Amino acid sequence: MKTLFRCAIALICSIPAAAFAQEPPAVPSSASEPQGVIAEPDIITRAVLFADRHLGKGDLTNGIYVDYGNMIPGAGWASVGPGYRHWYGKDSLFVDASASISVTGYRMAQARFELPALLKSRLVAGVQSRWQQFNGVDYFGSGPDSLPSALSDYAVKSTQLEGYVTIRPVRWLDLDGHIGWVNPRTRHLDGPLLQGLNSRQAYVPTGVALTIDTRDFPDHPTRGVMLRGAATRYDDRTSGSNGVNSFNRFDSEAAGFVPIGKVVLGVHGWMVRSDVDAGRSVPFYFQPTLGGVSSLRSFADYRFRDDNMLLATVEMRLALLTHLDLAGFVDAGNVARRPGDLDLEKRSYGGGLRFHTRRDTFAEIDLAHGTEGWRAMFRLKDPLLLGRLDRKTTIVPFVP
Amino acid sequence: MKRIHSLAIVTAIIVGAAACAGVGVPKASSTPKPPSASMWIEPTDLASRDLFYGPWGAEHAPAPNSVFELVELKHTGVNLGMTVKDDKGREWSVKQAYPGGLDPEGPVEVVLSRLLSAIGYHQPPLYYLPAFHLKDDLGTRVVVGGRFRLKDPSLKDTGSWKWEDNPFVGTKEYQGLIVLLVMFNSTDLKNTNNSIYEHRNGDLVEQWFVARDIGSALGDWNPLAPRKSHPPSFEKTPYILGVEGGHVQLAYNGWYKNLVRDRIAVDDVVWASELLGRLSEKQWQDAFRAGGYQPEVANRFIKKLKEKIGQGKALGSRVADRF
Repeated sequence: MKTLFRCAIALICSIPAAAFAQEPPAVPSSASEPQGVIAEPDIITRAVLFADRHLGKGDLTNGIYVDYGNMIPGAGWASVGPGYRHWYGKDSLFVDASASISVTGYRMAQARFELPALLKSRLVAGVQSRWQQFNGVDYFGSGPDSLPSALSDYAVKSTQLEGYVTIRPVRWLDLDGHIGWVNPRTRHLDGPLLQGLNSRQAYVPTGVALTIDTRDFPDHPTRGVMLRGAATRYDDRTSGSNGVNSFNRFDSEAAGFVPIGKVVLGVHGWMVRSDVDAGRSVPFYFQPTLGGVSSLRSFADYRFRDDNMLLATVEMRLALLTHLDLAGFVDAGNVARRPGDLDLEKRSYGGGLRFHTRRDTFAEIDLAHGTEGWRAMFRLKDPLLLGRLDRKTTIVPFVP
Repeated sequence: MKRIHSLAIVTAIIVGAAACAGVGVPKASSTPKPPSASMWIEPTDLASRDLFYGPWGAEHAPAPNSVFELVELKHTGVNLGMTVKDDKGREWSVKQAYPGGLDPEGPVEVVLSRLLSAIGYHQPPLYYLPAFHLKDDLGTRVVVGGRFRLKDPSLKDTGSWKWEDNPFVGTKEYQGLIVLLVMFNSTDLKNTNNSIYEHRNGDLVEQWFVARDIGSALGDWNPLAPRKSHPPSFEKTPYILGVEGGHVQLAYNGWYKNLVRDRIAVDDVVWASELLGRLSEKQWQDAFRAGGYQPEVANRFIKKLKEKIGQGKALGSRVADRF
């Protein structure tokens, strides 16, 4: 009886105590990460620690930084250069400038000025200028039947200026608008195609895009979806051209990531459709392309191009170690002059390794096989090259 | 050739960063210590000190279930973090763990702050929350927590102090602080992690010399990627190698050898060890609980720290025996 009485008193006393207890909320799942199938060697963990602390803070650190791995396919396995960025006024103003050079000699410089927290962070407005010089961009001709033996090289140099706004009603929804000016100068370097090319043109790209993005970590997604639709008008303002090379482009894209135990399943689909005047084609350097590290991986960079493009990718990543995934993938897609002719005829199969932290991918090694043989690739960061969605300026050439 | 150029750039950056690391050899300051300046005060009530809430007490602690409003993100250092404001209008500097939770510094910083303040070293108000409600312009959500440092009106950060040049070089508290930080395997002893606080207590204004950002510890000395808050590494790392020429040879292998090499006397180690050795078991447990450690992990750190304290104390008796 006495024990029962004590228990009752204890229970009565504990009720208000529990009610007023100040417990912190449950720790989000992002605070931990799945352990790998096998124990991780210390050297890998330390490499991750170094990369996470010194390379992986995104654009958050004020001051000088190393701009690396931000070049387009064809730039080689690495690029590096100095950068400087600074946030001012309690994150209400952001300035950033960087320049880099790749192992194949691609050069790029950019400067950005952004107001990211207008209207209580519902509106972002900014302006970015970019200069780039890419020597030796591969060109195999237009159409799905182009031949590898036709490999030619061209150089493209451009300066551009672009203003942009983003309306963000909720955290996962962006409505973007942009307008700019770009002046691609192209010339033939090598090979049987594009001979005599020495062109200088000017365009005013104007576009809108709607993006829904619930990915947990965009640079190393393990769950969530990304859906995007974009429409861009490229207005030909080349002197004396009467706008004959103007065209419209429509992008539809979806990606989804699902964790299943130690495996993450990722699917990605992307269609680019161009709208040009009858009898005309999109300028070759603006044509959507397939091939390379982020699209059809067993094919060379920019292997196929035409006015329209379709790409589908399925990738499975198994956590071999905590910070090293074993990946298997299938890429399929094609290019076509007419959207109705698009199919998934070109295919790549392969596997690779992903070196990552919980929120960032630092390096990828892939080995892929397709109808044109085997291809090995190494790349710093950015799986599926979805980082291009954050770009504020038009890239010349088109990058898959 | 271009490939060689790129590699040369990377190498130059690494070498440049390495050259900038470290501090000079400490030397006694030419300017006398201001009377209001202190780094340490004799802990006369050490046995009764609360190491869970620390020197600033529960009244300064953040309410765990409060909604914190984002002021701005952290744009310095290598850790993620932000400044937030609680519902009482108090501003906090939050140092967060990286997603994935690998070697977080926040818990370590709180534990070491508790230990140092218990034995008399000045420390700002620090607390640990594993997660918290964050409100920004786009809504409220739960985010990973970390170390919460209160921007208290009585405490004004007036800049940093240098290890190699300050009014306390050579004093027992200065020497003892270095010993303690080595004992904790603190790897990041750069000057910018030290703060001079102006502490107002009524009409009294004091200058506090504080070792502040001390979360890079409780791991090992690896120069490029030291483990932190990592019991196996902490347990494996040696501490005292011996005594040579009157100086204790500490197994320190970090970037700041000038603070340690041929500078630490036996008395310094004994002084620091005896001071820390006065903590009760409950105080040890409370200090690690304050940093959010589970008992089984805390016990591993505590065991190793007590071993080191024992080594330090034994050093005194060994030297005494020799004479």
